[in-house]
Amino acid sequence: MVQYNFKKITVVPNGKDFVDIILSRTQRQTPTVVHKGYAISRLRQFYMRKVKYTQQNFHDKLSTIIDEFPRLDDIHPFYGDLLHVLYNKDHYKLALGQINTARNLIGKIAKDYVKLLKYGDSLYRCKCLKVAALGRMCTVLKRVGPSLAYLEQVRQHMARLPSIDPNTRTILICGYPNVGKSSFINKITRADVDVQPYAFTTKSLFVGHTDYKYLRYQVIDTPGILDRPFEDRNIIEMCSITALAHLRAAILFFLDISGSCGYSIAQQAALFHSIKSLFMNKPLIIVCNKTDLQPLEGISEEDRKLVMEMKSEALKTVIGQGGEATSDDSVLLTMSTLTEEGVISVKNAACERLLDQRVEVKMKSKKINDCLNRFHVAIPKPRDQKERPPCIPQAVLEAKAKEAAEKEKRKTEKDLENENGGAGVYSMNLRKHYILANDEWKEDILPEILDGHNVYDFIDPDILRRVEELEREEGIRQAEEENDEFEIDGAELTPEQQAALAEIRKKKSLLIQQHRIKKSNAESRPTVPRKFDKDKQYTSERMGRQLSKLGLDPSLAIQRMRSRSVSRRGRKRDRSPEGADGGDRMDVDGDTPGKKQRLSRSRSRSRSVSRPPHEVVPGEGLKDSAQKIKAIKLAKKSVKKRNKEARRGEADRVIPTLKPKHLYSGKRSTGKTDRR
Amino acid sequence: MRLEKCWFCSSTVYPGHGIQFVRNDAKIFRFCRSKCHKNFKMKRNPRKVKWTKAYRRVHGKDMTQDSSFEFERKRNRPERYDRNLAENVLKAIPKIDKIRVTRDERHHKNRMKGKKEKLQKEAAKELEQGISLVKAPSALRKDPSLTLPQKIKVSVSQRQSEDNNAMEE
Repeated sequence: MVQYNFKKITVVPNGKDFVDIILSRTQRQTPTVVHKGYAISRLRQFYMRKVKYTQQNFHDKLSTIIDEFPRLDDIHPFYGDLLHVLYNKDHYKLALGQINTARNLIGKIAKDYVKLLKYGDSLYRCKCLKVAALGRMCTVLKRVGPSLAYLEQVRQHMARLPSIDPNTRTILICGYPNVGKSSFINKITRADVDVQPYAFTTKSLFVGHTDYKYLRYQVIDTPGILDRPFEDRNIIEMCSITALAHLRAAILFFLDISGSCGYSIAQQAALFHSIKSLFMNKPLIIVCNKTDLQPLEGISEEDRKLVMEMKSEALKTVIGQGGEATSDDSVLLTMSTLTEEGVISVKNAACERLLDQRVEVKMKSKKINDCLNRFHVAIPKPRDQKERPPCIPQAVLEAKAKEAAEKEKRKTEKDLENENGGAGVYSMNLRKHYILANDEWKEDILPEILDGHNVYDFIDPDILRRVEELEREEGIRQAEEENDEFEIDGAELTPEQQAALAEIRKKKSLLIQQHRIKKSNAESRPTVPRKFDKDKQYTSERMGRQLSKLGLDPSLAIQRMRSRSVSRRGRKRDRSPEGADGGDRMDVDGDTPGKKQRLSRSRSRSRSVSRPPHEVVPGEGLKDSAQKIKAIKLAKKSVKKRNKEARRGEADRVIPTLKPKHLYSGKRSTGKTDRR
Repeated sequence: MRLEKCWFCSSTVYPGHGIQFVRNDAKIFRFCRSKCHKNFKMKRNPRKVKWTKAYRRVHGKDMTQDSSFEFERKRNRPERYDRNLAENVLKAIPKIDKIRVTRDERHHKNRMKGKKEKLQKEAAKELEQGISLVKAPSALRKDPSLTLPQKIKVSVSQRQSEDNNAMEE
């Protein structure tokens, strides 16, 4: 219920904090990065989002405030009045109203600025609009600051109000200040209210709880009331007046017989009569306290008369309730909180009176049917002494008996398991209870997989028949096949032709290979003409072999070749077949040009000799040895490592001045100038 | 325990092998090895990947419809055990297998029927066209058969005498 949750109202931040919270949240929860190069719609969206987000947050927070603070008209009139007394209803409503207006204003601001933002044409303009929007919203909130502070104070005070249930059994204690109300409540409940000799020690309502006949009663201690006209009362007195006015409770009016509170009985009686209108329809008990100082019998005549007047008034309330006119014991009681005599009886009397009143009211109301069962349980009266037990048919009884017997006799699987070694050792034979056509088959093992097939996929009741059909079909097909097995052989090649074909294929693949090599090396290697044949492939023997393979007679060709080479050579060379000369001629067997005569590289020598580096080999493409030497030098230079580490090299030594003046002239301060 | 078929290549997946992938619509894909699994992840269509059974079936390389396939069908309702039936089944499975294999072979043979003739024709043509690589035209004129020419031996002594003659000059 709302009235009890004053403690659950969220904290109301003050104006500045509020603004800080919202703005920092906007900063954190919305994207923060934007550049002026973005598309304009994206910029607009960015800033609109910020404005809307801020407005949304303001709206949410202000709405929670407005919703959580109780509406004084919607709560129990006791609380409504109490809050009015404490905080001034108008002021309270105004504050909440201001918050509401602020909320609406912020909404309007956001709407307007979002509309403007839709037409912002640059980042700067959009940003200015957003700054303006947020600024205005914050100003609105700043103006509302005092209301927020007030509401926060109200909330803090409300949270500390005692939790009084206006509908349950309540006992209210009232009277002049200092008569002993708080001491009484301290005695009968666990409440620990301040008791001091000065007046107005108790400044607000206090609640304690006490038990009577297994029921819980609220005991409310009020601040003292002075006898003043209604308008002059201060807030503290108004609290008790409110409680008196709205709570349906038993009232204990405390009277100080001894007068040690500082007020005479006359004054107290006057107070009684001025507020007796509040005691309508409530069980009233007049309690004379501090009897240890002054017993009731010992007071003066006028005082006694006043007391009797009060008692008669109280009696009227009893009679007004419709109850029997009891003795004045239950209307006028004496006690002393100091000596604790009579305290319990006062409490009991009050509780009893209240209970009776409440029960009576309940009886008269329409809700009686709901709680009638709490009052009375009806049992039918027995008509005669005959016994009538419940009727159970005989068959059911027999069946029950049999089942019970069976349960004891049957051996369960669990027993079997326990006999054979327990759960880990014995595993039950699941096949025991299989229902098969022949019980011998129970322990049969059927393989699940056979030759790469699942056996279960093949199980079919008429598989035999189908397999027979299949085999028959297969037999037919095989017979058909045999009939048209003959294939026309056609022209087959003879073995010689086959050899020729093999040779052709070999030759073709060789050609293809060579072509591929040539193609892949075409860009990186120069094509050397055949006369500079480094590998000595092109010899007359080879030619002869190839020609004879093709079926031609090579002898003529070889002769012709030799004759030509012979004519070109000259006599000198014949005598010294190992002689060398730089000159191009047809390369016959084994002669190679070379500069130095002593170096011979004929095939008759068994050891080979390496060439000097500057010797030009005809297949390389260099003109003479000078060129070759230069080429070799360039090659070596290009492979040298560059000095990329920026270290000084030999070429980096610089002598800026070859003859510095300070070394070559001038006297010395110490020493001789013999050597310069 | 069941032998499953690989979704990609249709080979059998034995227990303890392969990977099973369950998609969000609860369809299960089983793969026999990571090759198939990776191909699947690459979203390749097994009907286009040459070495799979799906391709072979679609392109007519392997037999598709046959009565011997009808025997192996996933049955969802288990039959009550019957020893005779079990015996028959176990005996029948190898027979069915054998028949299926012979039919496969027949199918393959039918597919390859005209190949020999084709090869022979091609060989003949190649021989005729390429004979010039191994036989000189003059030799071919002399001996028009499409065979390798007779090898002509060149005697070594003839060569030596030539040399000596030159030297003497």
